[in-house]
Amino acid sequence: MDELIYTLKQQIIEALNLEDMKPEDIDENASLFGEGLGLDSIDALELIVMMEKNYGIKLKDPTQGKEIFKSVAVMADFIAKNRTK
Amino acid sequence: MTKPILITGSGVVSAIGCGKAQTLDALLNNRTGVGPLVYLKTEHKEFPVGEVKMSDDEMRKLMNISDNAIATRTALMGMIALDEALKEAKITAEMIPNIGFISGTTVGGMDMSEQFYLDYVNNENHKEYIAVHDCGSCSEMTAEHFGKFAFVTTLSTACSSAANAIILGANMIRNGEADIVVVGGSECITKFHLNGFNSLMILDTQWCRPFDATRAGLNLGEGAAYLVLESEESAKKRGVKAQAILSGYGNACDAFHQTASSPDGEGAFRAMKEALKLADIQPDRIDYINAHGTGTPNNDLSESYAVKRLFGENVPPMSSTKQFTGHTTSASGSIEAVFCILALQNGFLPVNLNWSQPMDDGIVPVHQSVKKELKHVLCNAFGFGGNDSSLLISNTSTSSVTDLHVSEFPEPVEGPLYVLSAKQISVQQPLSEDWMSQPIVYQESFNRSIDPSYKDYISPIEARRMGKILKRAIATSKEAIKASGLETVDAIITGTGYGCIENTEFFLNALSKDGEQMLSPTYFMQSTHNTISSLVAIQTKNHGYNVTYAHKSISFDSALQDAVLQMRLGKINSALVGGHDEMTPTFYNILKKGGMMGHDDEMCGEAAVSVVLGTKSDDYLCKLVNFKMLHKPTMDKLKTVATEFKADFIMTGISGNNKSDEAYLAETKELFGNAKLLKYKHLFGESFTASGLGFYVAAQCLKSGKIPAHLFANPNDITDDKPSNILIFNHSDSNNYSLTLLEA
Repeated sequence: MDELIYTLKQQIIEALNLEDMKPEDIDENASLFGEGLGLDSIDALELIVMMEKNYGIKLKDPTQGKEIFKSVAVMADFIAKNRTK
Repeated sequence: MTKPILITGSGVVSAIGCGKAQTLDALLNNRTGVGPLVYLKTEHKEFPVGEVKMSDDEMRKLMNISDNAIATRTALMGMIALDEALKEAKITAEMIPNIGFISGTTVGGMDMSEQFYLDYVNNENHKEYIAVHDCGSCSEMTAEHFGKFAFVTTLSTACSSAANAIILGANMIRNGEADIVVVGGSECITKFHLNGFNSLMILDTQWCRPFDATRAGLNLGEGAAYLVLESEESAKKRGVKAQAILSGYGNACDAFHQTASSPDGEGAFRAMKEALKLADIQPDRIDYINAHGTGTPNNDLSESYAVKRLFGENVPPMSSTKQFTGHTTSASGSIEAVFCILALQNGFLPVNLNWSQPMDDGIVPVHQSVKKELKHVLCNAFGFGGNDSSLLISNTSTSSVTDLHVSEFPEPVEGPLYVLSAKQISVQQPLSEDWMSQPIVYQESFNRSIDPSYKDYISPIEARRMGKILKRAIATSKEAIKASGLETVDAIITGTGYGCIENTEFFLNALSKDGEQMLSPTYFMQSTHNTISSLVAIQTKNHGYNVTYAHKSISFDSALQDAVLQMRLGKINSALVGGHDEMTPTFYNILKKGGMMGHDDEMCGEAAVSVVLGTKSDDYLCKLVNFKMLHKPTMDKLKTVATEFKADFIMTGISGNNKSDEAYLAETKELFGNAKLLKYKHLFGESFTASGLGFYVAAQCLKSGKIPAHLFANPNDITDDKPSNILIFNHSDSNNYSLTLLEA
């Protein structure tokens, strides 16, 4: 799981163009949206694309993202359970 | 004392029919045009769409377009609608040179670019389509089919483009600059924006359900519509009758988010309120609202909220007609304005089809056929970036009764306007006037701008998604507002020839190489032209008038014209006018292949210019005393206009393109005799909004009281004399002209 979390952090940094950040800077239990990293609805859409590209998970409804993108840890857990690649 | 704006003709084509007769029949009989995809070549067959039920070839045949002539689908639909509008208004070919044409579009020639993009990059095939990629070409192609209009320009504010074209036309008539202006918009469905809307996850795989609790997104549509706007005197003189009156209109910016409407519907509320105020009509006089009503969860909730803010408990009958046509994006403002005219003329309320469950906090739309005499109706059109507009259309009985005062409209403001500040980011030192004494000289034929650090202007979290053009626009805008001494401006008006070409390229590239899956919503969202103006509004929290022009080399000039017009009308006291274009190596090579850049000694650059204009000031760079734009004028007409623009110095746009420079210089000599000629493109490069840099250079010269020797086209003319005026004479291929007279 730790490896997936680390990889995921790298993929988030790349997908969201968080140029000045390193995986170590992201707390996997902190909230990604709102007060955490300060991401918005377009970032959520980019994360949906990222999950489909890298893990073969296709979300049909963007509001599902609200639960899944709570934190990197929650996201990793969801990916581990649902990945198709 | 304000004159009503008459609508003396209108024409429409959409999924529910070609022409007003078919359209009315479909509206009265609740017959939708939304269905499975037929004409667009895409793998996304899962989305229902509202296509115009004709192939490109069938449209070409209908409009008698010869087999070898280039025509994009947007232009073809535009011609069909324009033809009907001109015929209805009894406008003959002889009248066209005295009539303006203003069109709204965002996709322009994208239907061709998305098919041939890899050819443009890799080989010589289909290179004749490169020149019709942009929005302006599309409007000109539509216009040229009928003759040489007196002026042509293009609004590109995403889904409110056509509504804003209508507003500009009305303002021009109000200010006495034209008797007749044909206004509207056209947009075909493309793979580009179908995939773009899909990446934003706002397309419904079922028939859309605006204002319904179960709504889950929009269906895309396509079409075109134009209205003939005319002054009362002109209509009387010609003996034509009005179909309806454009009695009010409003434009405001939500300044909230690039793709979402604010929860309180601020932009929509302000736009509707302004439309009512202009017509001096109380909310209880409105008989019907044609909603923007796209069917996305966000739009319908925000629009409901805005309407309730304005109308309280007494919301008038309201419906969305997007279930008939799909969302016709840039054309929706004029298509739905025609629906409103038909409703006024025939006394009925268009039904909000496919509605069954009220949404929480939403309006309850018209869901059954109702016959009702209508007097005043509102027509809403909202665009990405919060470019919100509302039109108030009234039946013809209002022209003869006194209930339409239009009292809020002030007398025109005479006298000069003031250029309060001007800032640039270009291939010269950014945000500085170092080019006056230490110009940077380039040898390469394509150079990109020198970017300053943007940290002082944009937070890193915001900057990470922005293309270069956006960062430059925000930095120059913030610097220009600061230098103007004003706390805020009344309007933000932007011109861009090609818009956010970097993100357009990323999206086109992914679409062409990787296919129609997993595309980046960021690239799409940043590809629309009005992203620039709306981001500046978001960054400066500005809810004022906000539009974007995308018309070739007169994009900046068109923005300037709008600012001048609204100041003359007394509608605004200040405006931020921008001219922004970026260029990527790939697109530079494409444009070179298309014969549009890279001629002879010409240097291609990038332009970001922000200018603040004001009606009053005692601390300014220079005064703006006269402005005029012309499309394909005769030499006689040019000569007449030139007499009002006498100047000692003329800022020319000679660029190192031998053939066009020669013609340019000959024409300048014929028009202005011995005035001393200046140049700036050898330092700043050619770009679609280079004329903005020409304006900036002239303004700075007048402020400093000196013209640097390196700006003189002819060394014999060099002088230390303090310039008292400079005319910026912008002209491209004898097509579009603009004249801007600045005085010290």
